[in-house]
Amino acid sequence: MAITVETAQEHKNDIAVVCCRTEAGTILEASNLEDPAIFPDLEDSGLLQVPDNCLKIGEVLGAKLVKTIDSLTPLTPDLLEGIQTIEADEKKAEEKVVEEVKPVAATQPAPVVQTTGGVVKIHIGEGKNINLEIPVGLAGGVAANNQPAAVPEANAPIAKSDEANGEVVKPEEAKEMRRLVKKYFKIDKVEFGPETKLDGTTLYIRENVCEDAVKISKLVTAIKVDIITPDNYDKYSETIMDVQPIATKEPDSKLGQGITRVIDGVVVVVTGTDEAGVQIGEFGSSEGVLERNIMWGRPGAPDKGEIFIKTEVVIKEKTNMERPGPLAAHKATDYITQEIREALKNADESLVTEEEELVQYRRPGKKKVVIVKEIMGQGAMHDNLILPVEPVGIVGAKANVDLGNLPVILSPLEVLDGGIHALTCIGPASKENSRHYWREPLVTEVMNDEELDLVGVMFVGSPQANSEKFYVSERLGMLVEAMDLDGAFITTEGFGNNHIDFASHHEQIGMREVTVVGMSFCAQQGALVVGNKYMKHMIDHNKSAQGIENEILSNNTLCKEDAVRALAMLKAAMAGEEVKQPERKFNPNVKENNVDMIEQQTGREIELMPNEQILPKSKKRMEIYEPENA
Amino acid sequence: MKYGDKIIYMEGIVVELHDGAVSIDFKGRLGFLKVPMRMIINDNPLKVGQEVGINMSFVEVVNEEVNEEYVSNIEKRNQKKEAK
Repeated sequence: MAITVETAQEHKNDIAVVCCRTEAGTILEASNLEDPAIFPDLEDSGLLQVPDNCLKIGEVLGAKLVKTIDSLTPLTPDLLEGIQTIEADEKKAEEKVVEEVKPVAATQPAPVVQTTGGVVKIHIGEGKNINLEIPVGLAGGVAANNQPAAVPEANAPIAKSDEANGEVVKPEEAKEMRRLVKKYFKIDKVEFGPETKLDGTTLYIRENVCEDAVKISKLVTAIKVDIITPDNYDKYSETIMDVQPIATKEPDSKLGQGITRVIDGVVVVVTGTDEAGVQIGEFGSSEGVLERNIMWGRPGAPDKGEIFIKTEVVIKEKTNMERPGPLAAHKATDYITQEIREALKNADESLVTEEEELVQYRRPGKKKVVIVKEIMGQGAMHDNLILPVEPVGIVGAKANVDLGNLPVILSPLEVLDGGIHALTCIGPASKENSRHYWREPLVTEVMNDEELDLVGVMFVGSPQANSEKFYVSERLGMLVEAMDLDGAFITTEGFGNNHIDFASHHEQIGMREVTVVGMSFCAQQGALVVGNKYMKHMIDHNKSAQGIENEILSNNTLCKEDAVRALAMLKAAMAGEEVKQPERKFNPNVKENNVDMIEQQTGREIELMPNEQILPKSKKRMEIYEPENA
Repeated sequence: MKYGDKIIYMEGIVVELHDGAVSIDFKGRLGFLKVPMRMIINDNPLKVGQEVGINMSFVEVVNEEVNEEYVSNIEKRNQKKEAK
């Protein structure tokens, strides 16, 4: 396929190959040339063999062909007259590369950077003689990309000095927006009893609570509660639909601020089937033995050692694929959780074992960033309840599908206080459970980063049809335009057509000159279906050894290590660093390299999460996904 | 897989639409496919009767041995159906 003049310009140092049969005497233009992006594929399939003396695009444009050649012939000097020279440009480009790698050592009058006592001193010569003192905090442009780009962080303050126009940059004070206190009540035993209450470190659940929970919806025909202690982790379970914290607001505290009471050591696990025994939202099974199907310790998964209050909801036959079905299962479960919440509200203050205080600041003068979280909005279980009254509750919340999937802004503390109740129930390894938002690592990292001004967290649904996707995405673009941002993170869960909106959000934000870092599970199976020139900075959530959706709950979701990489990448990109092109095929080493580089630059140790290899191997994984001879 | 790179263009018809799922009959009585909504790409809302296309290949057995865990899951489900 022919290329445009702009593409030719971008690729002038790439090899030149004609796209179609070209007659002798033709003066070569961009439209005669093939797109260099597809050369690796052509070479792999044997359609193209590039000789050593092949010319570059910049050399052949305007040259005259002396011989008629077939399509996909590489252009060599013997075929052309009037070859252009691009030597000068090349030299310049080389120099530029050197400069990027070692800016301090460059021979031309370069800024001198000294670090003394926590202050970066920059002296710029060349007649201006400006001396700047900038706190080290601003020098945060760590070179860390999806692909390694070896650029020292000294580049960041230099860029800053241009902006400051010779004036001393004084950091403005951070402004506290709101506080949230989480009070933890440690529970180490859960039992059935005559009433739901907390007694010391024991939680009693009313024996006949299911009789009332079943009445919550006409669609619910039965409900059963199991208490799973660590010695029962080897039991069979239906597909896990959701994992939820048990928490409640104290009187007069709104979600996202004030005081939240949390039960520590116990989580609610929602499972269910329809009357015919079909899993809710079933597309192929992922039920099985709990300990083989859960990636412990992920933000959205249970931690090893926790007790599960596991509900098994049965809904009317054939409602498992319709919107009210999965919602009914969540409602029935929430009836039980609500009863525990009431007991927690009445629990004695002396039972608090731990307190955690979260503070949200705005940091004027720092780079303004937003976190965009793309959530499922295709319908049925692909839906999320936004801002319930109680953490991860149901009452008071609006479904993002009902809100037209349009962007909704939450404060970071609303997110971390259970402002999202996720109904998502397919794609176990990559879906974000309700608990994921409660412990969202990216929100936590960015909120606590003193070099960034996090304006909020934007939730945007992913509707089904492309026409709706672009409607939503364009509104997101306008919203971002009104926010005057420097940078944005875009995350999405799972894979499929949600990558179409994911790409469109990059375009909408990127075209407004806001730097974007995208985060998604991609690897082998979730490779992006579309792309555009704004999708330069990407973080892959994959942790699985094979890069696939391996049915292990939360295995490939966003973890702290991904948040750290995304943060470093956004800072580097905002400071103007170039990010290397991705490799052609998924290569897990890219991540390792970047992590090493961040550790070197920041002196901070990053602990990588283990993957499914530490779990007892289920037969299906051993035999199907990881055969010995693979 | 031995034949994994034999990609074949197939066409089908949307025969069932749910809030969360789409069912497709392959033309020529070549099978039936049910996928989550997010695995289908459509410019406008889907309608029953629409024609769809997919590049796919043959289904190949990757392991000769029966996986007992899956058998047990299937049996559990069948028991539930019978009990109903």
